[in-house]
Amino acid sequence: MSSVYLDNIRMKRESQSFTDSLYAILTAADLFEGPKYRLSGLSGMAFKFAVHERLLPLSVTAYGQWGLEHAAAIDNLGYLSISDGGRTRHLTFRRYQQEAIRWIKQSLDRGVGLIYWIPEFGVIHGYDDEDGVFFIQDGWSREDHIVLYDNLGLNFTPFWNVQMIGQKVDVPLEEQVLESVRSAVHDWQTPFKLLPDKEIASGKLAYDFFIQALRSGIYDENGGRYILDSYRYARHEIRDYLSDVKGLWPELAEAHLYYEELGHHIAELSFDYSGGIPEMIDKLTAAAQLEDQAIQQFNKLSARYADPSRTTVTRWITHSAR
Amino acid sequence: MTSLMVNTLQGIQMKAESRPYLDAMHAVLTHAGWTTLFKPMLAGMTVNGFRMAVHRRLTAESVTAYNWHAEHFLAADFIGILVSSKAEFTFRRTFPLYRKEALADICASIDRGVAAICWHNGQFVAIVGYEQVDNGSCSGRLYYVDGRSDEVQSFDYMDFGIGEDRANPSPHWYYQIFEGYIPMDEAAVMKESFLQAIFKWEMHDGTLPVTDYACGEAVYDAIVHALSSGDYDRVGASETFKCMAAAKQDLAVYMAEAERRWPAAGEAAKHYVRVAELFGSVAAVGVDQVDELCGFFREAKQAETQAVEALRLLVRETLDNRFHDVGLR
Repeated sequence: MSSVYLDNIRMKRESQSFTDSLYAILTAADLFEGPKYRLSGLSGMAFKFAVHERLLPLSVTAYGQWGLEHAAAIDNLGYLSISDGGRTRHLTFRRYQQEAIRWIKQSLDRGVGLIYWIPEFGVIHGYDDEDGVFFIQDGWSREDHIVLYDNLGLNFTPFWNVQMIGQKVDVPLEEQVLESVRSAVHDWQTPFKLLPDKEIASGKLAYDFFIQALRSGIYDENGGRYILDSYRYARHEIRDYLSDVKGLWPELAEAHLYYEELGHHIAELSFDYSGGIPEMIDKLTAAAQLEDQAIQQFNKLSARYADPSRTTVTRWITHSAR
Repeated sequence: MTSLMVNTLQGIQMKAESRPYLDAMHAVLTHAGWTTLFKPMLAGMTVNGFRMAVHRRLTAESVTAYNWHAEHFLAADFIGILVSSKAEFTFRRTFPLYRKEALADICASIDRGVAAICWHNGQFVAIVGYEQVDNGSCSGRLYYVDGRSDEVQSFDYMDFGIGEDRANPSPHWYYQIFEGYIPMDEAAVMKESFLQAIFKWEMHDGTLPVTDYACGEAVYDAIVHALSSGDYDRVGASETFKCMAAAKQDLAVYMAEAERRWPAAGEAAKHYVRVAELFGSVAAVGVDQVDELCGFFREAKQAETQAVEALRLLVRETLDNRFHDVGLR
């Protein structure tokens, strides 16, 4: 019987829930130094933008298959990571759940928290064998969620997900930055990341989906507000991130200018703004164009260096959930 | 003082019979005592036999061009086998971290008495043992069988993933360990395989660029196109057809078993027999007999289309319940 309670982990919801979780874990374990926007930028997470055709709030975390998106994000920072997840209705779930309980505790014993789908993403920062529970932060409340071992992974969505962070290798900053903008290009140019589903668009097409929803009038307004808040925060993160690294390549300096301008355009992008829906559509259209120009700069930069990760056919990457 | 830790499993029988991966999986699971299924049943129930893809130039790579990570996880999941696996590029910075993790996982599996599967020298092999210096230095050798010879071979830890051909290092590393099993209802597994078969027939594998590869039904047109154009790899085509023929033969046997259980599966079974016969004919002529080959493949496409139509009828209610995503259980 043992227990661990990592007091120094303090997750705060500001960015995407996954990034907030990762930041809380890494900084508490002295594995990352610097502001959150830098983590969000280097991991490529800030660039992920998805919109459901009816602006459902799930858009904010529907930016792809988590296993792949998050593994790549963490890989770019130089960490090993192990994750598990899937449909909790599948017959093998109970066994994978029991296995996860084991490796989650191992990680906590090492002093490293884990990322966990509550939903949304939060941090597992402790366990107690005597009560058979995990302690989880959601980044909003200072109170822990208590989850029984046997309820691990069970929630109102059909899936579960846990991610562990392991050891680190040093990756030169230039490589991290280059890879982060390449992932931005990929996310921008990939219209659907959850095929065969086509109700949720990614990147450039996500803007179109948002605009179409506004035009049609058929949308979830709370979801729309949440998407916009998250989107705006992420664009500011990108702007600040590029401001830090723009000295590396002239393309980044130029892209930074576009994101600065974009920041002004979206400052008052809101359902409450006096201009109403037509004004929102105008602002989104302008923002999409600016972001497209920034991405072109990333593309230009990317073309100057070999990119084996994207020119070699993989034996993993995208697949549809089965 | 350093000591040498050695552990080698005895009695693993792997026989390479043109089912890349499945030959290894069958060897590992049979040895572990987690399955008594013979290969054609395993090919059907794991859905592996239903999957097909080709490089548009019919290169030998076609036979292992698919999403290993997803397909091999599913192969195990469908039949109630618990696994862990990982795949990535060998040129990533994090590779040494993952290699260390992989070797530790594999050795731990051997210590539990269960073999593991690795991508090594361009094929899936069964890892049956290890020897390592017990000083935490991560140096040692893995023992493996590849099914081509009875002999146990070995490679250095540092060759994990990249292989031993230094001039042509593999860009991919992959391993899978097997961690347990849960009893499954065989009939339910077989019915699920029919749904997955329909899915594999319709869907393109997202890991493969459409410009270079064809999947499922589209494979037939791609083969005919390649053969007619003359722009294809003769050695690769021969190997590809051989593996496809093995898979179709398995499906014919598998569906005959399905028919024994459910007479209604007889219609699909009949067409799979025809498909297997046609692939038998393909094997009997040379890869240069273009006209003849194209005829066989056109006919095989027709027969397999009818087979899949028959499967659709067989599982139509569940099929309808899954709306636009037949694969999602």
